[in-house]
Amino acid sequence: MVTEFTLSLTGSHAREEGTIQATQDWERGRIDSASLKAAFREDCDSLVDLQRRVGADYISDGQLTTAWQDPLSPVTAGFEGLKKGPMVRWYNTNTFYYAPVIEGDISSDGRAFWNRVGRRYAKTGRLRLAIPDPLTFSELAVDRHYNRTASEGGKDRALFAYADALNAELRTLERNRVSYVQFSCPALVARFREKPVRRERLGQLGEAIRAAKRGTSIRTGFHTYFGDASPYLPAIFDAIPVDDIGFDLTQTDPASLSSTRKGIIAGVADARTTYLESLDELGDRVGAVIERTGSTRITLAPSSDLRYIPRVSGDEKLRRLGALKEELRGGGS
Amino acid sequence: MSVGRPFPTQEIGSLPKFSWRTKPFRGMALDEEDIAAAEVWGRRLGVPRRSELQKVLSRRANFSDAERRTIVDFSLLYAIRMGETAGAGLAESEGLDLVWSGEQARTEMYETPVSNIAGFEFIGRVRSFDNKYWRMASIRDKPSYKNNYHADELSFTARHAKRKIKVPITDAITIMAWSDNHYYTAKWAREKVSPLRRSFNARREFTLDLAKIIRRVIRELVERQGVEEVQIDIPAATQYQSVDDIKLVAESFNETTRGLSATFSVHSCFPPKFGYKILFPYILEMKKCERFSFEYGNRDTYRRGQDPESRAGFADLKLFKEYGYRQGLGVGVVHVHTDVLPTVGVVMDRVLYSAKITELDPRLLYINPDCGLRTRRPEVAQRMLDLVVAGAERARGELGAS
Repeated sequence: MVTEFTLSLTGSHAREEGTIQATQDWERGRIDSASLKAAFREDCDSLVDLQRRVGADYISDGQLTTAWQDPLSPVTAGFEGLKKGPMVRWYNTNTFYYAPVIEGDISSDGRAFWNRVGRRYAKTGRLRLAIPDPLTFSELAVDRHYNRTASEGGKDRALFAYADALNAELRTLERNRVSYVQFSCPALVARFREKPVRRERLGQLGEAIRAAKRGTSIRTGFHTYFGDASPYLPAIFDAIPVDDIGFDLTQTDPASLSSTRKGIIAGVADARTTYLESLDELGDRVGAVIERTGSTRITLAPSSDLRYIPRVSGDEKLRRLGALKEELRGGGS
Repeated sequence: MSVGRPFPTQEIGSLPKFSWRTKPFRGMALDEEDIAAAEVWGRRLGVPRRSELQKVLSRRANFSDAERRTIVDFSLLYAIRMGETAGAGLAESEGLDLVWSGEQARTEMYETPVSNIAGFEFIGRVRSFDNKYWRMASIRDKPSYKNNYHADELSFTARHAKRKIKVPITDAITIMAWSDNHYYTAKWAREKVSPLRRSFNARREFTLDLAKIIRRVIRELVERQGVEEVQIDIPAATQYQSVDDIKLVAESFNETTRGLSATFSVHSCFPPKFGYKILFPYILEMKKCERFSFEYGNRDTYRRGQDPESRAGFADLKLFKEYGYRQGLGVGVVHVHTDVLPTVGVVMDRVLYSAKITELDPRLLYINPDCGLRTRRPEVAQRMLDLVVAGAERARGELGAS
């Protein structure tokens, strides 16, 4: 079997120094909103250009906009029933998000993400979006409305309400030629001192993702990061109804992976450090993934978003992944 | 060690820098407004020898090194006075019990230590939240001591403060967590251990190498300059959250304070969704810690009341009682990442509720803002300190202990 290698970013990207300076100048009243917007636009174009040059198969806008300040902010700002809550640490990073507070029924007009994405790249037919998955939303939201009962074995109403709202979002994205949606799910694996999610809850998550995708045919992935996914193997492949399942291979041992017909998002490049892995190191990780899963569709990717290291270093990681893709394709497999 | 009265008050560390302090270091010229602010605030705070500062500032640009030094010294004085006059007009007796000079001599709590420890290289800015960034340094070699980066500011502050001082010092865990761990990641990259163990080992080795350097810095402050009270700042205590990582937070603290004789406290803030329970019970293994000062106002409501619903943000205080901790606590009663201010009544409720649920002697409950105030405008920061002083005073009054 020939393995198909693709290359993609998996979330938000760091801002260029010029954009950082522009945000600070804007906050101090030294530049106007139009200038700030222009800085972001230039930054975005530069990232997209780099992705093209290194052979990325999908294009990400890197969430380079002040309308996407943290992973959950488009949801909190764009969905009905939510308001902005306290500032909370984003998993094991030195970054923070404002917790969504559920105060009423969650719904969406379908434009929360579309209004915040780099729309001009959609016409390429290769635009890829990474959005919070239902489990991450449900676990990080402060629920003052649905009174979550999942821990008692009941149905997590917030999880499904969010999934239903996502369905409207996915329909809008598909209609506008967005070609790939990744459900980003640190919540499943970044549990640290919590027990792994139980099998029934994993099943509920699968149902929720099915509900989010209902009536659409957009290609989808489900990427886990910041933790070890081995407690969910092999169940995750059957439980989550997407085309590709992703792993942070700086945390998940490739030896724990199991056989699947699904595609794999192989988070081989460590997104949390500028240490640049050699092509041999990265190649070994990819080889182990292929050997264990037998998958014929491998997406070469950083382990998570690349916003945790400065832009120049994130770009270096991307270039290295481009070189890896080149080598793997050249070598045949 | 308590200062002896109920609900003593303290700052956490940083205070905002005035534009006349920052612009000369960014190559920007001062304008009339900057110079006027120096005078208005100086008068309000009762800063002596203001004409000396005005004379320097009147140059507006192209300051000499000596003039820039004068500017920094005055910013230290302003910050000390901000603490010593907090509550004026709002409380009957003004001033915090423990003060510092607002970290005015530091670039920032992370940047200053890494600039003064060998082995680091700055690589660019990374966003923390909203449009707030930190300048990330990468560790490229085994870190080593270069110089004591707090000696001068301590010396100045000790000479000018009329209240007891507490020196805030950034700990090893935080420096590790906010840095790019390049050197140790490379060192461990090819070790035949699981990915999880490999990354933890890289963090631990980095942290403990840093702890030894920080211990030397503190030892010099204690033994040569007579510091009595040190706050170990660990905002990253809740960043890496595995049991091994939390044990490492305690191990790092113990390594940092080993063999030193001073009053040590710990500050941390903004935990993940699990709250501070993630730190328990392991932080209680910090042998020399006499006070844990955490942030609570951030998650609280702004309504009056001393009931669990109104004071939802303070629920984690119960953990200390549950685990049998009977020493001091610092209670963050004002959320610092917003300009929305609670009333004095709400602050008082927060103080009294904290006393109620911890069942600690009020002399062991220090009252403070959630965190350093560097991100606020000076007038907001001042108001927040006022609220701390006035809220604690009102709470003392309620206890009949003023």
